[in-house]
Amino acid sequence: MEDKSSRGPWDWHRPTTSRRELILGAGYLAGGLALGSVLAACGSSSSTSTSGTPKRGGNFRLGVTGGGAKDMIDGQNIVTKPDQARLVAGFETLLVYDEKYNLTTDGLAESVTQDAPDKWTIRLKQGITFHDGKTLSSDDLVYSFQRLFDPKQGLFGTAGLGSVDPNNITKMDTRTVRLNLKRADSTIGDQLGQYYNGIVPVGYTRSGPQNGTGPYKVQSFTPGQQSVHVRNPNYWRSGQPYFDQVTVIDFPDPAAQVNALLAGQLDAITDIPFGQVDVVKGHSGLAVLESPGGGWLPLCMAIDIEPFTDVRVRQAFRLMANRDQIVTQVLSGHGRVANDLYSPFDEAYASDLPQRHQDLAQAKSLLKAAGKDGMTVDLHTTDGAAGMVDVATIFAQQAKAAGVTVNVKNDPNYYGDQYLKLAFSVDFWGTRNYLPQVANGSIPTAPYNECHWPPSNSNYMSLYQQALGEVDKTKRIALKHEMQKLEYDQGGYIIPFFNDLVDAYSKKVNGFVASKGTLNLDSFGHGFRTIWFS
Amino acid sequence: MASAPSGSRSGTPLETTPGGAAAQAPPLPAVGRNAIWAFIFRRLLLGALVLILVSIVIFLATQALPGDTARAILGRTATPASLAALREQLHLNRPLVVQYLIWAGGLLHGDAGQSMAAQEPVMKLIADRIVNSAFLVLCSGVISIPLSVLVGAYAALWRDKAFDVATSLTTLVFAALPEFVVGITLVILFATTVSQVLPAVSQIPPGGRPWEQPVVLILPTLTLVIAVTPYVARIMRASMIEVLESDYVELARLKGLAERIVILRHALPNALGPTFQVIALNLAYLAGGVIVVEYVFNYAGIGGALRDAVSNRDLPVIQALAMLIAGLYVVLNLLADIATILVTPRLRTRL
Repeated sequence: MEDKSSRGPWDWHRPTTSRRELILGAGYLAGGLALGSVLAACGSSSSTSTSGTPKRGGNFRLGVTGGGAKDMIDGQNIVTKPDQARLVAGFETLLVYDEKYNLTTDGLAESVTQDAPDKWTIRLKQGITFHDGKTLSSDDLVYSFQRLFDPKQGLFGTAGLGSVDPNNITKMDTRTVRLNLKRADSTIGDQLGQYYNGIVPVGYTRSGPQNGTGPYKVQSFTPGQQSVHVRNPNYWRSGQPYFDQVTVIDFPDPAAQVNALLAGQLDAITDIPFGQVDVVKGHSGLAVLESPGGGWLPLCMAIDIEPFTDVRVRQAFRLMANRDQIVTQVLSGHGRVANDLYSPFDEAYASDLPQRHQDLAQAKSLLKAAGKDGMTVDLHTTDGAAGMVDVATIFAQQAKAAGVTVNVKNDPNYYGDQYLKLAFSVDFWGTRNYLPQVANGSIPTAPYNECHWPPSNSNYMSLYQQALGEVDKTKRIALKHEMQKLEYDQGGYIIPFFNDLVDAYSKKVNGFVASKGTLNLDSFGHGFRTIWFS
Repeated sequence: MASAPSGSRSGTPLETTPGGAAAQAPPLPAVGRNAIWAFIFRRLLLGALVLILVSIVIFLATQALPGDTARAILGRTATPASLAALREQLHLNRPLVVQYLIWAGGLLHGDAGQSMAAQEPVMKLIADRIVNSAFLVLCSGVISIPLSVLVGAYAALWRDKAFDVATSLTTLVFAALPEFVVGITLVILFATTVSQVLPAVSQIPPGGRPWEQPVVLILPTLTLVIAVTPYVARIMRASMIEVLESDYVELARLKGLAERIVILRHALPNALGPTFQVIALNLAYLAGGVIVVEYVFNYAGIGGALRDAVSNRDLPVIQALAMLIAGLYVVLNLLADIATILVTPRLRTRL
């Protein structure tokens, strides 16, 4: 989450990045691509599994919480959760993640190739048109990138594309664009798959006509209330989309949203309160869609502030956490136990490192060795995202068993001047792959490095630079694994869990698939195009 | 400011007691009429004074937000340039008194400033919502006021009989229930679990009006009626009982007047005085209570706007809505006082 001032529970599930190269079928060209990972076209065959033959028609009504007067529609930005649904209805990205969180060329790009560590080439598919009938060309691509790089726009994806040289984007032909980077970066493909890096036509502005390549055109939009989207008759994927109309409705109250679904006034809703999961499951006409997410709420120990300068204290605190209990109490079981490491969907996620369990005896002996037994510490938190206060309170109870007093400070001004300067605090993050997450939270130049990682005497930074420049997958995975090992042994994060996304829908709707990813409801049915009414 | 504590609803009647020396309202003498206009004028001045004081309180309260207002609005996205620009826009560099006068002067011209979150004029943002909320309050008032007066009066006439006992019990139970409990129970009964005859949420399309699809109004209105009727009915019953036991009602009966005349012309007007005060307080309360109900039913009114503004720290919207609700309190109290004077001869003659 780049912007921690506009936080809501939805931020948990926000940005992702992944670095997954894919070599798809016949698209792999042996010659001249020895360096690069290749993302080649596999046409428009979607990886979404479906049941039965899709039918055309109907008005799909979606309820979303987390919106308000600041809602916006922008092909390259969001500030609230309903914005996500509205963006993906009208705008598309060059690459697309599948339900296993693998990057595919099921987007606007026919291929995306890393020709050299600092050169990426993008080739567009043929015959894709915008809502106004204009054909998508490399000019639109150049404009889209330039808009993304414009710091005045305050766009979401700007930070992730920092390695691209804005003055060195080359138009090769009408469908091909080359990005020349300021430095080696193997994460560009991930960025191109982020839903908020949508492709917009030349001259696009937020206040102008909402003109994308997506399956639905905006008909009306009132921030904080609702938007109506109508079927794009010239959509490039044949047959899709299926609904005549999509209505996205803001709900301040999750309970009202569930009621509207029960009463048949909505066809799907995001984020049902855990307490109401059984209510929805007990209803014969409704179904719950539970998708494994990669969002996490860390307890952050700043490694350069007392008492956490001693690695034994950090390890002791990590051993005090009973992760199963936290998953049960904070998430009502809707999540998976984590191991103080982030980015669970990354190609290099270090699942081989032994799972940490609560070990109070070991924690006590580590603290004693560090001369800190019976210590007291303040844990700062806030209602920034659902669960941030709960996780602190439960951890404080668990720490008590190890003789440590943790005073939970729930501060409404947490994200003020003290943020990132605290010894011990709770924060939250969305789904991201490893290297992009490191860039955001685990190196000195990261905007939100709560733990002040890495230690000055560590080789973590040089491993990071090598991994960014490494195009060989096996070598890159080895480098990322080494980085994670350092964080596992010495890091400042206590990461108790990854949360799931729990959504609900009417059984009249077909085509939803529980998928790993950032967005709710199977990326809102891939922009409402892979779902239909029976 | 937004929602009055529920304790304030059962407010005690002001300067009136049921019953009085004059059994029947005589026609107003000319002097009395002038006195009433003078009274209204005095109350209007007083109301204006109260509003000025309230506006100062609202202004100072928003000034008292911890830290720098511009920083509070911009949060972590603040850059020195954007902070400076916002301070200029909010006139934060000017003396406090000047800032207040700019804001209050704008309000007088119907300009409540610019919303921080939506980047639109506040009035554009909330105008439709005010209409929606006002209509909901109006519907609730139109149903609950006559209903509560009738129930209260009828219960008083049949004191300790089955109707009285039943309504006393029901009103007591309903008065104890918070609106959201009532609202959710109604949703369970009529929209989701028990039956599905009514909509669970009141979706009004942007630009639409609630009266264009009255079915969405039924449950929110019913919730507010249930929330307000018990208070007014209980006050009405109490004051009616007191009036019925008074000497002048007994005298009217002894004079052989028909019971119908005794009740309609002698008892009821005198019992209404204190009830008006409670009605006014409850209507004003509705403007705040409507926020909870709007939340439960996702009704696009001022409640949603206020909730959203608070979470966004959208000060101009908060200030405008707080002033609106405060103004409503002042106006309704004024109306109640005038109505009380008009129906209570003893007070009228004292002017």
